[in-house]
Amino acid sequence: MALADATTATEWGDWLPESPVPPALAAEVRRNMGVVPGWTRRLAPVPWVVRACSRLAKNVTAYAPLELLHPIVLVVSRDNSCRYCFGVQRTLMKTMGYADDYLDRLERDVELRELAPAQRAALDFARRLSRADPRPGARDLAQLAAAGYSRAAIAEIAYAAAAASVINRISTMVALPTDAMIARLDHPLTRLVRPLIARMLRPRRAKPLAAPPTDDGPCGAVVAALGDSPAAAAVRETIDAALASPVLPRRTKLLMMAVVARALGCGRSEAEARAMLATEGLDGAAVDDVLAHLGSPRLDAREALLVPFARESVRYRNGDIQARTRALHDALGVEAAIEAVGIASLANGVCRLSVLLDAC
Amino acid sequence: MLTAIAVAAALVVVAAGVWAWRLRGRLAATERRLRGAAGELEALQYAFSRFAPREVVDDIIAQGVSGRSATKDVTIVFADLHAFTALAEQLDPERLVGLLNGYFAAMERAIAEHRGHVAKFIGDGILAVFGALEPNPWQTNDALHAALAMRAALATYNRRLEADGLPTLRVGIGIHRGPVVTGVLGGTALVEYGVLGRAVNVAARVERLTRLHDADILVTEVVRDHADRRFRLRALPATTVKGLAEPLATFAVEGFDPGGAGTSEAVGSVA
Repeated sequence: MALADATTATEWGDWLPESPVPPALAAEVRRNMGVVPGWTRRLAPVPWVVRACSRLAKNVTAYAPLELLHPIVLVVSRDNSCRYCFGVQRTLMKTMGYADDYLDRLERDVELRELAPAQRAALDFARRLSRADPRPGARDLAQLAAAGYSRAAIAEIAYAAAAASVINRISTMVALPTDAMIARLDHPLTRLVRPLIARMLRPRRAKPLAAPPTDDGPCGAVVAALGDSPAAAAVRETIDAALASPVLPRRTKLLMMAVVARALGCGRSEAEARAMLATEGLDGAAVDDVLAHLGSPRLDAREALLVPFARESVRYRNGDIQARTRALHDALGVEAAIEAVGIASLANGVCRLSVLLDAC
Repeated sequence: MLTAIAVAAALVVVAAGVWAWRLRGRLAATERRLRGAAGELEALQYAFSRFAPREVVDDIIAQGVSGRSATKDVTIVFADLHAFTALAEQLDPERLVGLLNGYFAAMERAIAEHRGHVAKFIGDGILAVFGALEPNPWQTNDALHAALAMRAALATYNRRLEADGLPTLRVGIGIHRGPVVTGVLGGTALVEYGVLGRAVNVAARVERLTRLHDADILVTEVVRDHADRRFRLRALPATTVKGLAEPLATFAVEGFDPGGAGTSEAVGSVA
């Protein structure tokens, strides 16, 4: 495909319909984010996906240096070519007072080389975690520790990168259009109140959890690796809500999670998905077959579509993944498509976060 | 007095309208800039990632060179046109180049759509690699699907050639899997991201066997072992080839049954 074809083939159209948002859901999003962004209406048919986005975008942290959080999201969004997140993040950072020149240099990686060694190490780690090409390991975590970060701060840096990876995927797959609210931040009138908005946007230190989640439940070890960080609660609630959602069967979702784990070479996540699949009545041989070839006569028609889709969510080209998501929407309907996008994205985030277990 | 106030109010309203209109324009321009920048970003990333793994691209952006090399287990697809020399003698250079470029474009598309990348065009030959640019546990299936897509694309292309009164093409495709060394190869004037190793040579040898066995797609035993059992394969007699001590067993790829049973019996039919 010629380069021109590749870019013009990128479908970034407005195809996911808007739906009414239940007031309680809108209120929850507003509590998390201060506003109700446009994507809330598009993802509303599957409320846990909306909640996940608003929780993960909030980036609640108790230990990671606050000045790292926004640059991590920018670097990861750029690396994932997420047009929506990248645009939003750049505008937010500009509103917060980051200079255009600094943002340009950060985009071009120039700034990475000029940052303090500890910051550079964190951003480089975030990028490699997002790429997972291959997944970082204990050595990378040791390097961060040597750069001066505490175990808890490292966990939150990994969380910030993993959360951005999840949101990037959701935004890209459903091709979120530019949010009018974000475009307004560049409005001359808005510039007058920029200091106020910047204050609102600045990340704030959250309190550690009084009762951190235990390692029980699906992906419990990954959640527990976040310790008493408030991020642990966000991940726990998101995973539980995703698996409890009635739109797609639990077995289908676990199969998708196992496929993502296989694609990322995450043995722990794959083993955990396998164990949960066994409780759903799918034996090891059947799972082997699915994971080896992304297909099996034991898959139902919907799974036969979603298992390969999960694989595509790991390393993708925007145009391709958007076309596939659209095809899912046409074949399975809006709710199933949004839930599939949510599950695949979440699985990508959890597998990336499981790097923390390498240091346990 | 009232008239003056009304006129002033009207002027204020008009001025506010003009101002709002201009602001709207600026907002739209901002949006366009955002979209343009994002599009350029995607295009750049896409372009680079087609040539080398991202860490190699990063090295090149940062330092201008990359000394990074790695040994990777990859699946290699080697494709070559049959009787190309005779064809080249029949056509004038312009037609020949046009015909070849159309062929390369169709093959490259089939390869890229299945997550492979063309490492090199060698005359009328194509060396494509699966699993070199990014980890890919399904690389062998991808390579086989790509080969089937190449077969279909060539059939379509041949219909076009026939309609244009041009000679049609026949391709041989050899597929093998094994370890290769990947890295940026070349001198100061010309560099490329390439693969080296015995596995590349074996894939080329397998392609040569397509003529002997009169089959367009042949795979080795190791490829068969990694492949989805829904691929229909036909065993062929092991053949001695140059450079290999043992005769080389190959399997002709006949097709793929998406709804196939995928049982070991299906594989058994090839032996």
